[in-house]
Amino acid sequence: MWEQIRSNQIRSIVLVAMIAGLLLLLGYVLGAAFLGSGIGGLAIALVIWAILNLVAYFQGDSILLSMSRARKISRDDNPRLYNVVEEMKIASGLEKMPDIYIIDDPALNAFATGRDPNRASVAITSGLLQKLNRDELQGVIAHEISHIKNRDVLLMSLCSILLGTIVILAWYASRIMIYGGMRGGRRGGRGGGGGQVVIIVVAIVLMIIAPILAQLIYFAISRRREYLADASGALYTRYPEGLASALEKIAASTAQLKSANKATAPMYIINPFRSEGRAASDWTSTHPPISERIRILRSMAGGASLTDYDKSYQQFHRSGKGVIPASALGVVSVMAVTPEPEALAGEADKIERARETSDMLWKFSEHRLVNCECGTKLRVPPEFKSDTIQCPHCGRTNPVPPRHK
Amino acid sequence: MECPACKGVMVVAEFQKIELDHCTRCLGVWFDAGELELLAERLARDGAVLTMDEIMALPAEEVVEKARRCPICGEKMLKVGLGSQPRVLVDVCPRRDGIWFDHGELSQVIAQTRTTQPAGATEAKPTRMIRFLGEAFEAEG
Ligand SMILES: [Zn+2]
Ligand SMILES: [Zn+2]
Repeated sequence: MWEQIRSNQIRSIVLVAMIAGLLLLLGYVLGAAFLGSGIGGLAIALVIWAILNLVAYFQGDSILLSMSRARKISRDDNPRLYNVVEEMKIASGLEKMPDIYIIDDPALNAFATGRDPNRASVAITSGLLQKLNRDELQGVIAHEISHIKNRDVLLMSLCSILLGTIVILAWYASRIMIYGGMRGGRRGGRGGGGGQVVIIVVAIVLMIIAPILAQLIYFAISRRREYLADASGALYTRYPEGLASALEKIAASTAQLKSANKATAPMYIINPFRSEGRAASDWTSTHPPISERIRILRSMAGGASLTDYDKSYQQFHRSGKGVIPASALGVVSVMAVTPEPEALAGEADKIERARETSDMLWKFSEHRLVNCECGTKLRVPPEFKSDTIQCPHCGRTNPVPPRHK
Repeated sequence: MECPACKGVMVVAEFQKIELDHCTRCLGVWFDAGELELLAERLARDGAVLTMDEIMALPAEEVVEKARRCPICGEKMLKVGLGSQPRVLVDVCPRRDGIWFDHGELSQVIAQTRTTQPAGATEAKPTRMIRFLGEAFEAEG
């Protein structure tokens, strides 16, 4: 595993360096063309980049989690989820138990955050918690934990900040060019006109190309990480079918995640903005097509190792190139487990899972419980002021317990 | 959640492990799409029920009745006719978040199915779901 992470890290560093190089080049050339000073442009680029970094550093996870209206839970709130996270933490060899958050949203999604594996969180929507059985939940949690383990979060935020800086620079430069005229060009005077024209042309080309190029590199990194997380998910659970079937349920759901935005989209297990019938060749997507991810997991042919995943991946891409770094392959052969029928029989059924999840959410939102004699349960929100409530089923009048502060 | 009809306080009633939101002021009922799915799965064993897909496939009607907003997503809900003679117009969220029944609409549909179904005939599609809702809200009507 360490080998795999290291070799991935090197590849990623090279790609991040490419985006960074692009940023520096853009800053320098724009400076030379519009300000008459390449170093000045470079300085502006670095200042914008530093500001965005500071913003990201101070906001970080807490913003992402609060933007998603996520709520931290303990073992007692949902033992089923807590146990699954604990198991996957052990299977992945992660040292510290990540914090677990619930997002009250019927959409099916999950994400991981945390700059380093010791301060990480896993968040899951209430809809997903309700819909997935234990095997599927394990698959999703294993996928998320492998993002933590592989330090994807830090890398992705690093990339998106660089990308953001490039986009901002190119955007402002185009505004200045259109509305402000080219002061640098005029200052250059009639003397050295030829060289100035070349620089301006280069600047315009870079302004157009740099954001696209940076975005492509960003997508390449993030998509590769999705495949790797799927592969690790299969390895940690030793049951590729669990994640495959979870992805299938997620793909079938039509509910859109309300709290997601463009900045947080790459964090989720599936793109929260996916449109139905997205083409498999959509290379501008941060996520590989979900149907392809399912097919790769399903054709792992009884194995659960990274090698098995890589072989399966190659079957679909026919490029002869895998997604898993070579150094991680061929190490161990891991057989996939077949779940025992007993384990399935003990599974809480769908309705039980739904009630378990909604009980937890009602408790969080401070609803008071009224048990009517007829068997109907009433959940009364804090806004309800009267001390009695009529049961809509039997018509009995029940006392409402006082609100505890 | 706020009542989409009168902005009253909504209380959640859990009846036979299915949750329904109901307004304590106007007595309307909100049936969440997730709960509808659970109910449909449970009832599917003994025959057809109305699912969200089937409700969405029904034509939306243009009526003078004021459009309500979905209490979950805030979108304007569509008016969809259930039953027959006269059709009962319920509000359905275009994003499929759920269905809203005004007070009385449930009992209207139930009353209709009682009179129009001769004994022994196969039930019309919405009936099983509506009957469950009717059982859950015995006090209504
Ligand atoms: Zn009662
Ligand atoms: Zn009301």
